[in-house]
Parts: sequence; structure tokens; C-alpha cells
Amino acid sequence: MGGAERSERKRRQQTAAGARAVAQARGSAGNRRTIVVVIAVVVLAVLVIGGVIWTNSSKNQTEGQAIPPVATNASLDTQGERQGAVVVSGKADAKVKIDIYADFLCPYCGQLQKSSGAQIEQQIQAGNLQVSYHMIPLLNSRSDPPGYSLASENAALCAADQGKFTPFHDSLFAKQPEEGQRGYDNAQLIKLGQDLGITAPEFASCVNAGTYNQPLNDALAKISADPSFQGTPTILHNGTQIDWTQPDWLTKLVAQP
Amino acid sequence: MRPSQAVLDVVGTFVRLGLAAVWLTSGSIKLADPGQTYLAVKAYQLMPDAVVHPVATALPLLELALGVLLVAGLLTRWAAVVSAVVLVLFIAGVAQSWARGLTIDCGCFGGGGQVAAGQTQYPQEIARDVGFLVLAGWLIVRSRTRLSVDGWLRPREAEPAVREVERA
Repeated sequence: MGGAERSERKRRQQTAAGARAVAQARGSAGNRRTIVVVIAVVVLAVLVIGGVIWTNSSKNQTEGQAIPPVATNASLDTQGERQGAVVVSGKADAKVKIDIYADFLCPYCGQLQKSSGAQIEQQIQAGNLQVSYHMIPLLNSRSDPPGYSLASENAALCAADQGKFTPFHDSLFAKQPEEGQRGYDNAQLIKLGQDLGITAPEFASCVNAGTYNQPLNDALAKISADPSFQGTPTILHNGTQIDWTQPDWLTKLVAQP
Repeated sequence: MRPSQAVLDVVGTFVRLGLAAVWLTSGSIKLADPGQTYLAVKAYQLMPDAVVHPVATALPLLELALGVLLVAGLLTRWAAVVSAVVLVLFIAGVAQSWARGLTIDCGCFGGGGQVAAGQTQYPQEIARDVGFLVLAGWLIVRSRTRLSVDGWLRPREAEPAVREVERA
């Protein structure tokens, strides 16, 4: 066996070994890639499923909740307080009369209630103020599922028929759902009325039937056509808009000669 | 003079991380406020309510998934292709809102929904998305970058050896 032949065989062996090693390396790199991709896909799938669950639970916080009832002074409500789609609270001979346009889903309406609700009720009780509450289902499409504005406002009018408007109104604002999220359904609205002491079976059927949906939608259509309407909340005193962001707006109004 | 491959790799790395940052930022802002995201999607007035809900849920998660893949540099080209498709859809959505005279904020990075007539920023929003589309385009054309899982998975040592064996 010549030297050249030996070295030729050696070269071939080396080449074969090299090819094997390359094939092995390629195979393991391919496996590694598959493993990494599978792990990544599984991790992403878990994150996405977790994200969907988180999103839904965060949007559906109101689900299965009982709306905490807020008690208010009984003198604020009367049996005949509902006048069409408007609820009037306070003495007819009160010195100051205002109109409040609000939507139970509107965040600024919630702020108005938080900052001025107690003062308003005090002035009504003192006999200085009469408030006409206009509920406007302006944001009816802005809950998910849509329809909370109209459902809650209809229910508030049903509660007004039972002389329970003010506590119903205050309870809904105290635990206000967020825009773009789930509101409260009819069952929850009925439960709130019952927790506030409504016993008449007409209340539940009124809520479920949407008895006042039509007058509420009419009120929305009417006010939307008014170019001076700036959205909710709006407070009007003798037709002029009140800047309710001033902390003493009500005190000033009542103090006016 | 053409820039060297090494320089292009580094530029590509910045492009990849930049696009990843865009998706991670926009996705996490959207995920953090699902109510707002729902309203932002709804404001485009393109889909019925039954479809808005799943789209608003899925969109932030898709953005985050793309961001995670791009940060890792895994399946870079695929992530770039999907990014480009999503960005084209975003641009189309903004353009149709503009054309139809809707007055909305794109909600691209949180926010969204109706705005006052003078407050729309359609040209800026489209320009921004086109910029992001350029990033995605780079990665589709040239997906090789530094510091990427794709690079780590590539059989680097084997390649020259293969060529040598083929020659032999």
C-alpha cells in the first residue's frame, strides 16, 4: 500500500466523517429550531388566552354584582314625580329651578354627581331648589354590550313611578360602570329597585318591557337637534347654562336675590 | 459603495427592535384599558357590534405577540409580514375615516374614539403608520439581524463545511 493510496483513503474517511458531522449538526439545528418555535408558539398561545380572559374579566366587572343601594332622604321623592321622561324633585314654589341633563354612563355626569349631588339634595330638602332630571340616552351605544344608557334610564323612570327615583339615581352613579365596558343588565337594575324597598311587581315588568324607551329616545332626538346642546351633563337655569365646575355654583345660585 | 453585510445586520437590529417597541407600547396601552380600546375600534364604524368586541379583544394581544417575536428576533420575517398587513389595515382604516368625514382619533397608542371636528390628525397618523411600514418592509426584505433567536438557530458553522463537502 503506497503512501499516496493511504493518504487518499484517509482523506476519504475524513470527508465521510465530516459529512456525517455536518448532517448531524444540520439535523440537530433543525430540531432545535422546531423545539424553539414550538415553545414560542405555546408561550404566545398561553399569553393570548390569558389576555383574552383578563380583558373579558376586566370589561365585565359589573357581572354578577349587586349594585349597592344608596339611601336618600324620603322627602326628595313623591309619588307623582315622573312627568313624561322627566323627573321633578323639590317643591313647586322653590326659588331656584334648574334642569339637569345627564346620562348614567357619562363619566362627567358621574363627576357632577360626586361633586354636587349632596349639595343639590340639601338645597331641595331646604326648599330652595327644584330640579328637573332629564335623562338622555346619549351614550347608549358606548357600553359593551350596547344599551346600558337606555336600560338604566328606563329603569330610573320605573323607579320614579314607585317614588324611588333619587336613591335609584344616586346608586347608579355611586357605582357607575365605565364607558366601553359592561353596564348593568335589567336583572341587576330590578334587584337594585327591590333593595331600595320597591315591592310592586309593576316595577320589574316596567324595567323588562322598556316602557319608557320611546319617550327617552324622543327626548334624545329633540335635544340633539338643539344646536346649543353641548352634551351631558348640562345644567340650565332659566335657559342659561351653569358652569358646574365652579365649586360654589349652587350656593351662588341659591343666594341670588 | 454598498454598506457591508455587518453594517446592514446592525441597522436591521435597530429596525427590528424599533418595530418591536412600537408594538409592545401600543399593545400594552390598549390591553390596559379594554373599554377605551373597544370604543376606539367602534369609532371607525366599520364593523357590527358583534365583531367589534372580538376585534377589540384580539388587537392588543396580536400587537403584543408581534412585539415579543420581534424583540426575540424569532420568526422575524413572518412577524414583519404580519406587521405589514396589520399596518396596511390601520392605514386603510384611518384613510376611510378621513374620506368619510368621521372625526375620530386613531387610537393607535391608546385614546381613540370621537374627537372635535378640528382635532383630527389623519395625515400625521397615516405618515406615522407608513414609517412603521417601512420598518416592517426592511425586515421582510432583509430579516437577518444581530442578537436574534433566528441567528442563534441558524447553523452558522455548518454552512461553509457543507460547501466544502459539496465541492469534494
